[in-house]
Amino acid sequence: MRNKWLMLGLTLLLSVFVLAACGGGEQEEDTSSDQETADTEETSEENASEETGGEVNLYTGRHYDTDQELYDTFTEETGIEVNVIEGDDDELIARLDREGEASEADLLITADAGRLHRAKSQDLLQSLESDTLNENIPEKFRDPDNNWFGLTKRARVIAYHKERVDEENLQTYMDLTNEEYQDKVLIRSSSNIYNQSLVASMIATEGEDAAKEWAQGIVDNMARDPQGGDRDQAKAVAAGEGDVAVMNTYYLGKMLNSEDEEEVKVAEQLGIIFPNQDSTGTHVNISGIGVTASSKNTENAQKFIEFLSGEEAQKQFAEANYEYPVNPDVEASELLQSWGEFKEQDISLNELGENNDRAIQIMNEVGWK
Amino acid sequence: MEKDVSSLNVRRRLPAYRNGWSILSFIIVILILIPNVTILFNFFTEKAENWGHITEYILPDLLKNTGLLIAFTGLLTIIIGTSLAWLISAYDFPLKKFFKWALILPLAIPPYIAGYTYNGILNYTGVIQTTLRNTWGIEVEQKYFDILNLPGAVFIFTLFLYPYVYTITRAFLANQSASLIENARLLGGSPLEVFFRVVLPVSRGAVVGGVSLVLLEVLNDYGVVQYFGVPTFSTAIFQTWFGMNDLNSAIKLSATLMFIVFSILILEKLLRGRKKYAATTAKARPLRAIPLSGGRGWAAFSYCLAIFLLGFLIPLIQLVDWMFLTFEKVASSEFLTLIWNSLFVSLTGALLIVFFAVIIGNFARTHQSRLSKSAAKVTILGYSIPGAVIAVGISTVFIDLDSGLSRFYEMTGVESRLFLSTSIVILISSYIIRFLAIGYNSVESGFDKIGNKYTEASRMLGMNMTKTFFKVDVRMLRAPLISGFLLAFIEIIKELPLTLILRPFNFGTLSTNAFKYASDEQIHEAALSSLIIVLISAAAVFIFHQVLEKESN
Repeated sequence: MRNKWLMLGLTLLLSVFVLAACGGGEQEEDTSSDQETADTEETSEENASEETGGEVNLYTGRHYDTDQELYDTFTEETGIEVNVIEGDDDELIARLDREGEASEADLLITADAGRLHRAKSQDLLQSLESDTLNENIPEKFRDPDNNWFGLTKRARVIAYHKERVDEENLQTYMDLTNEEYQDKVLIRSSSNIYNQSLVASMIATEGEDAAKEWAQGIVDNMARDPQGGDRDQAKAVAAGEGDVAVMNTYYLGKMLNSEDEEEVKVAEQLGIIFPNQDSTGTHVNISGIGVTASSKNTENAQKFIEFLSGEEAQKQFAEANYEYPVNPDVEASELLQSWGEFKEQDISLNELGENNDRAIQIMNEVGWK
Repeated sequence: MEKDVSSLNVRRRLPAYRNGWSILSFIIVILILIPNVTILFNFFTEKAENWGHITEYILPDLLKNTGLLIAFTGLLTIIIGTSLAWLISAYDFPLKKFFKWALILPLAIPPYIAGYTYNGILNYTGVIQTTLRNTWGIEVEQKYFDILNLPGAVFIFTLFLYPYVYTITRAFLANQSASLIENARLLGGSPLEVFFRVVLPVSRGAVVGGVSLVLLEVLNDYGVVQYFGVPTFSTAIFQTWFGMNDLNSAIKLSATLMFIVFSILILEKLLRGRKKYAATTAKARPLRAIPLSGGRGWAAFSYCLAIFLLGFLIPLIQLVDWMFLTFEKVASSEFLTLIWNSLFVSLTGALLIVFFAVIIGNFARTHQSRLSKSAAKVTILGYSIPGAVIAVGISTVFIDLDSGLSRFYEMTGVESRLFLSTSIVILISSYIIRFLAIGYNSVESGFDKIGNKYTEASRMLGMNMTKTFFKVDVRMLRAPLISGFLLAFIEIIKELPLTLILRPFNFGTLSTNAFKYASDEQIHEAALSSLIIVLISAAAVFIFHQVLEKESN
């Protein structure tokens, strides 16, 4: 009697799990289709993958609707299905690491070069030789070992209040630490990757001591404890909490084109400065992509990266999201062009990753919250 | 009460000691323990490279922030939760019937969404400041509208978590305290005296139970503290683990956090005290409400209304406003899939949680042993550890499981070598581990209430344990089962970190969709998915209330 119930219980437990698993299967099919019924769709999908190039699996830390449109275009052109898991850069890398050789991911996209370097140094990426990529992407924005490739650029600039700030005295990141901007500097927290990479780049260009001195100066000049995102810094400038903010270019682009007219008003009060034009250049970071070491569809993965570096895709990156395209043949959006050309920091982007730990430590040490 | 029952219980070794119930419970407990142990196992393995740096620069701030958050959120949720519970159960005033359930509604809004929304209302481009500025030309001092700081986080946590205290306390007051309170009133106690000298001491157990849920939620939160720039343990664990790539320091932090959690749980036990003021009769008489006349009635009404507006209606209206702003840009047929996905995982997860909770609950109740007690304790484990930590533990286990099954996969022609860890099974398992405590609490209190007498009568009359369970216990447990199910459902549909880290390819839910926009500062675009989450959870809250009401009648 006892055994009977035990068996029943275990069977029930097992069947629940199996049911859950089957339910999951159905799910995935559902998501990739729109209107067709589940049955016909299943067969048509199988046929599709047999006839064409199959699929490519992507882990991405970028979450823009326009990116999904690009993937759809790619599928239309090549017949290759793009399966996506969106997540946080760090978590996706940790997931790749745990899954190891068995991982189903073919590609990793992150919104920071330092993260790509980390994936590379954990042997999660593999080298990819492609003439198309060498042609489309300047050397500076590729990994020397071809483990990763930049897709878009964003500059970390200084936004200032047009009326309250004399831009003559504001030409470098270091100027932000001047007495003039005491209690006037707005910048987000040290847990933010863009700030970490900015400090990491300073370690690369000017050395650890200078980077620490700068971080200390910023903390001393902060208008308030760091909080919120880049947009919040811009709003605080408009609100008069401070006069200058450090932010990424595309956030300003998005605010200028926001559906909320109040955000537009805020952005219109701000001017931007590309810092360090006479010295080391403005800090530029990338969104980039690499083929995973465990990839089982390397050919498709290569086609995908080549597609994203091509003119059509680059144009869409530039127009829809106010990022700078890496492909020099593609022009930046009108808005970005109106801000003018600028000199970029000249460092190997891998250094952003190499210096990341030190950057975090420095920021903690000077009390950057 | 457990103690009383067991001492009355004739101590005998039931032949059913190793029956299916105990074995199933054992399996469940093992399943829950493995991922957590995987994490803790690492604690002793290696030296953490950044630990020195962390203890010097980060830990003091963490302890301070966490302490302040816990202290103030705890205090304020107690004040708001118990005062509302008291007003609603002891008095009659305008719209009281509506407030009775509407005051649970803040639970339907995930705190991180509430945080984004309130900042959106209050900041420079928010509706308040723009109205002041554009209509009357008033520029306000920003610091009075700044919510992104520690007091702001306390504000959010208090408003959106107090329903835990309110619900549990109110249920207790309504059903268990009638004779005590009415006697106190008869003896001439003023309302305040009755509240402080009778109500609070008597409902201490319920209040502490509710507050400990609130505090665990606060400790677990990542979204709010991250956005508000208030470093706590969960943000520090993220930063050291994923940012500094220092697993061991992260584990040391997790262990420190677990220490705090266990202190809270022990404190809870102590504060609940030796006595439980449970009713001695099976049918407790509900508390009779006194009508509040005139001004006092309206004062009670205004207080309830204020909390309801702040905790539900105002953020809801703001979300609706943003939804219209971005509807065309965001809405697509994809949302139907998202809704279906959210419902599917939440329903399945909640169902399994209740199922497992009942097995363990029944085992713990019928076997008064150390083993069964620790089985019950284990269920709380998942609830006390940050989601991201559980996610890593469970995925490590599943990947090992998959590699163990690889031969089986080859035989059956399954192509993927990570079949389980890339399927929805891992996601649902993680929900079970994370939220089993929620379902278990409901089921346990249900078992507590019916006691063992009916079960024992049934056993005496010759039915075996399983038959008794289905014929007697389940019928009496209906209400707690349903409320456990609904609470787990609400938690899962709001859940974020686990879903984000463990989901399969091409699988999104409403909360991952909201996160996708919010993480990139597109707060307006996140409104549609947030709104759907809130509405579905609000429906669940409403049903939850109906079930509780039915039970008490």
